Amino acid sequence: MTFDWSVIWTNLPRFAEGAWMTVWLAVVTMALAIPGGLILAFLRMSPFKVVSFAAATFVEFFRATPLILQIYWAYYVLPAYFDMQFSQLTTAILGLTCNISSFNSETFRAGILSIRKGQWNAGKAIGMSDVQIMWHIVLPQAVMRVLPALATTWVSLFKDTSLVSIISVSDLSYVSLKIRSETYRILEVLTAMAVIYWLMGYPQAKIVDWIHRHYKVVE
Amino acid sequence: MSAQETPVKRINHGESPILSFENVSKRYGTLQALDQVTLTVNRGEVVCLIGPSGSGKSTALRCANALETLDSGRVLFEGKEVRADDNRNARQVRRRMGMVFQNFELFPHLTVLKNVTIGLTTVLKLDEAAADKRALTLLAKVGLSDKASAHAANLSGGQQQRVAIARALAMEPALMLFDEPTSALDPETIGEVLSVMKALADEGMTMVVVTHEMDFARRVGNWVVVFDKGRVIEQGPPRQIFEAATVPRTREFLNHLGWHGESKIEPAREPKQ
Ligand SMILES: Nc1ncnc2c1ncn2[C@@H]1O[C@H](COP(=O)(O)OP(=O)(O)OP(=O)(O)O)[C@@H](O)[C@H]1O
Ligand SMILES: [Mg+2]
Repeated sequence: MTFDWSVIWTNLPRFAEGAWMTVWLAVVTMALAIPGGLILAFLRMSPFKVVSFAAATFVEFFRATPLILQIYWAYYVLPAYFDMQFSQLTTAILGLTCNISSFNSETFRAGILSIRKGQWNAGKAIGMSDVQIMWHIVLPQAVMRVLPALATTWVSLFKDTSLVSIISVSDLSYVSLKIRSETYRILEVLTAMAVIYWLMGYPQAKIVDWIHRHYKVVE
Repeated sequence: MSAQETPVKRINHGESPILSFENVSKRYGTLQALDQVTLTVNRGEVVCLIGPSGSGKSTALRCANALETLDSGRVLFEGKEVRADDNRNARQVRRRMGMVFQNFELFPHLTVLKNVTIGLTTVLKLDEAAADKRALTLLAKVGLSDKASAHAANLSGGQQQRVAIARALAMEPALMLFDEPTSALDPETIGEVLSVMKALADEGMTMVVVTHEMDFARRVGNWVVVFDKGRVIEQGPPRQIFEAATVPRTREFLNHLGWHGESKIEPAREPKQ
């Protein structure tokens, strides 16, 4: 068996573009899914039953079904039956954002509920409104507490972006698989793909470990 | 300073009410936490609430501070009814009333200075410079100027409680509520908190203090209210409660705490425990 690594070097710019798309997808998704998760968390804690029920249904649907199905569904079912047509990239971001927002919302909700009632009372006692207490006192503490969980979600999001290749978004997976089918250098291409994912993912995993150690709550 | 020399303000109870409870009742499920409680706090007075655990003292403070709705009766503060179910009213009441909790409840993500300024900037809308200035004055008053930039969590219990007092005072309240402010403290830091409270009382601050520190109640209090099972079983000036309680249950409670009348009072300024 002979190896031909030149395939990798000649296609390096395409790998780089794919890698860039992977990073971009993850960053954009998380940037949307943090406010998205917060909004869902607030809706789910709403005193209005209809609102909290709707939010809970949304969250539990996206948490309990596979992401790959959600992406397929958004791409094929929405245009066919609901007359909604988005580009592949928009569909990918939409699917990922709904999914990650749902996970984030549960993370934020747990964080907010973990702040003890005394903190609310202390805020009330100096005359702060509920909104002010949430914004200045509860949320900052809740976010610090859930940072480790958010970091874990980030790492799995980074890898899950590869699923969007099924609707031809040219992320690292899609590009790699395309180069493979053009060149038939299966081993070389898959090895390169693994190395690139690892080079990007390993430092993140280390940072996450650090976050877990550093922000561990002792109470 | 002996007990006799301690300047005790002699205000006739009932002279200038700032806070009054009129037949206040509050139930939690089947538990009668407050049962027809009637009491009055006058301007400049230090009223101490004492009584066994679960007798309703904290509930009474929460009702005063609009943190709890009533089942019947009413609470009047500065002539107006306190309504926990009316957000605007509740916030107005709380703004004029400081509250200090047993567990301090400082905001752990903020510095000491920010703990004191947060109410000033968010509620009173002071600008940062004015808020900092007022906060530093109050931190100096509780003896913690040097801790302004420290994180709340890195202070001792006694220091945290003094910050909590400064935080409440910053809002320039007309009345201060204390709920067992020294119960969670190590014995060696209780004194520093009690002396801050005594200094406040000497300045004429109106205070309602739930406490198990009988020395404090006796020396600093002008009026003592004894709670038992949600009811006020006896109230009067400290001398009467501690030396001539008429209700057997009061004497029983005081004996239980190791209080056996004047002979046991230590002349030391700082209560022993
Ligand atoms: N939120 C609540 N829900 C149910 N029961 C409560 C609640 N808050 C207080 N209680 C009950 O009401 C009674 C009075 O409580 P409260 O906290 O006012 O007593 P206390 O005199 O402050 O006692 P302690 O000295 O232990 O602080 C207690 O039996 C308590 O268990
Ligand atoms: Mg209590």
